[in-house]
Amino acid sequence: TDAPRCLADLIETFRAQLRDDPDVASAVAAIRALLGFLKQDRGETIQGLRSSLLAAINTLSRVDSSVAVSSGGELFLRFISLTSLEYSDYSKCKEIMIERGEIFLRKVSLSRNKIAKLCHPFIRDGARILTHAYSRVVLRVLEAAVESKKRFSVYVTESQPDQAGQKMAKALRKLNIPVTVILDAAVGYIMEKVDLVLVGAEGVVESGGIINKIGTNQIAVCAKAQNKPFYVVAESFKFVRLFPLNQQDVPDKFKYKADTLKTGQNLTEEHPWIDYTSPSLITLLFTDLGVLTPSAVSDELIKLYL
Amino acid sequence: SGELMDLIRTEGRRMTAAQPSETTVGNMVRRVLKVIREEYGRLHGRSEESDQQESLHKLLTSGGLSEDFSTPYPPLRANVIEAINELLIELEGTTDNIAMQALEHIHSNEVIMTIGYSRTVEAFLKEAARKRKFQVIVAECAPFCQGHEMAVRLSKENIETTVMSDAAIFAVMSRVNKVIIGTKTILANGALIAVSGTHTLALAAKHHSTPLIVCAPMFKLSPQFPNEEDSFHKFVSPQEVLPFTEGEILAKINVHCPVFDYVPPELITLFISNIGGNAPSYIYRLMSELYHPDDYEL
Repeated sequence: TDAPRCLADLIETFRAQLRDDPDVASAVAAIRALLGFLKQDRGETIQGLRSSLLAAINTLSRVDSSVAVSSGGELFLRFISLTSLEYSDYSKCKEIMIERGEIFLRKVSLSRNKIAKLCHPFIRDGARILTHAYSRVVLRVLEAAVESKKRFSVYVTESQPDQAGQKMAKALRKLNIPVTVILDAAVGYIMEKVDLVLVGAEGVVESGGIINKIGTNQIAVCAKAQNKPFYVVAESFKFVRLFPLNQQDVPDKFKYKADTLKTGQNLTEEHPWIDYTSPSLITLLFTDLGVLTPSAVSDELIKLYL
Repeated sequence: SGELMDLIRTEGRRMTAAQPSETTVGNMVRRVLKVIREEYGRLHGRSEESDQQESLHKLLTSGGLSEDFSTPYPPLRANVIEAINELLIELEGTTDNIAMQALEHIHSNEVIMTIGYSRTVEAFLKEAARKRKFQVIVAECAPFCQGHEMAVRLSKENIETTVMSDAAIFAVMSRVNKVIIGTKTILANGALIAVSGTHTLALAAKHHSTPLIVCAPMFKLSPQFPNEEDSFHKFVSPQEVLPFTEGEILAKINVHCPVFDYVPPELITLFISNIGGNAPSYIYRLMSELYHPDDYEL
């Protein structure tokens, strides 16, 4: 039948996008793949469309179980529901969906630049910045700061177990920014020398907290203890409908990679890849919807989902 | 109306560049711009006024890019003038609106602390004094010592007032029930730019878990964030700190006389404004009601 072939195509489109453009956010790649899936879906009803999309999103999360893909998928589903409410005729509805989907993708491709424009005034001349692991949004912000002729230096944590910090350091050296790679354990030591902390996020939760690479929570706690501002940069499609009260509340499917989950072995022996940082530790969030305090995030989510 | 908005924006930029510490000028320009956008939207036939902001919802459902303001509408001018007159009436009534809330917050036999001279706080306390009996301690707020004038005005209304120096703030704080202050500007994250000495007062209040109440009208709310620590400072002649008569010493030292202080939002308990009482974490919401995001940068 058609279904398995379409899903396999979907996975292939998703993977191809990540391969061809390493700079694209995984949520954007997921949404683009889902839009392609929508275009060649041959169902006749909204219900049918929804169920095939749900199946598609499940397949995608089995390939890449990160928070970003999940939030991208949910946003797309929401997008479908909202559009279908306005038009009762299915074929017209589908046309509008495809058109709006393209506009949405175009808008989100501009989101990193918007964020960079909002955030770089917060970096003063001579600032020392601490960042964590590899974040393309942070890279873009620092690039914008360099373009506005500011001089600053950056400390990057090594970010085990995949040494993502080294990748970040390499990219920063290409921009001629003085970089120092530090051990993850050295964050408490270096915090007194630092002026501000700037991290990206894989997901922004309803409380205004963030889900990011493991180690972010520690950095936030140290920053709070020494009164350093902790800034988060994230695009708006990363807003996710979770409300974790502690680290255990974050679902297992986000904590571990998709391959580990598939093997079904005992997860207590595994190291999680992400942690949750509570909103009381975050000073400001920079998103393409503007500069938000953590309490403003839930407002944005309510506006969308209710 | 696009041309009108550009004209206002240019004038606004000139005025704010002339005196950057007077943020209310920029705020009023932004209010007027928002009024024009609303009136234009109403005539243009847009039913929702609440969807002015960027939101995830808008990202998903909108069909195109933002609107331009080029269609001329004859009644637009009259509508805008009427709306601006309403704004003027609102501005004139702000102090009274704030003072009306005084009785809810001040109770009998309380000790209230304030710093410097604020007309809003003066009206607030005077209104409460008509029905309640309480004491006020005023920190003099050197070097201009505006606290003295505040104390004189309050005592004329038969309020028991004490003046003390700024150094004694922490010492006296344990006897104080509430701290009520005015401010120069309220920033977008809920922080304050207030007279020099307010940060000390706020820290002392936090240490003793004393509530800090800020009385300020809404026109002082500015959509700027404190992105550069030195950008809001205004320094005046150090003559007040160390007079020029001490010429010999002056040659060997640096003297500064900053006028303003930055108070972070964690130290503030409540904002009382003409639209009621709000927590500092709610300020972002008030901002979105007063100004349009495209106008944050004039």
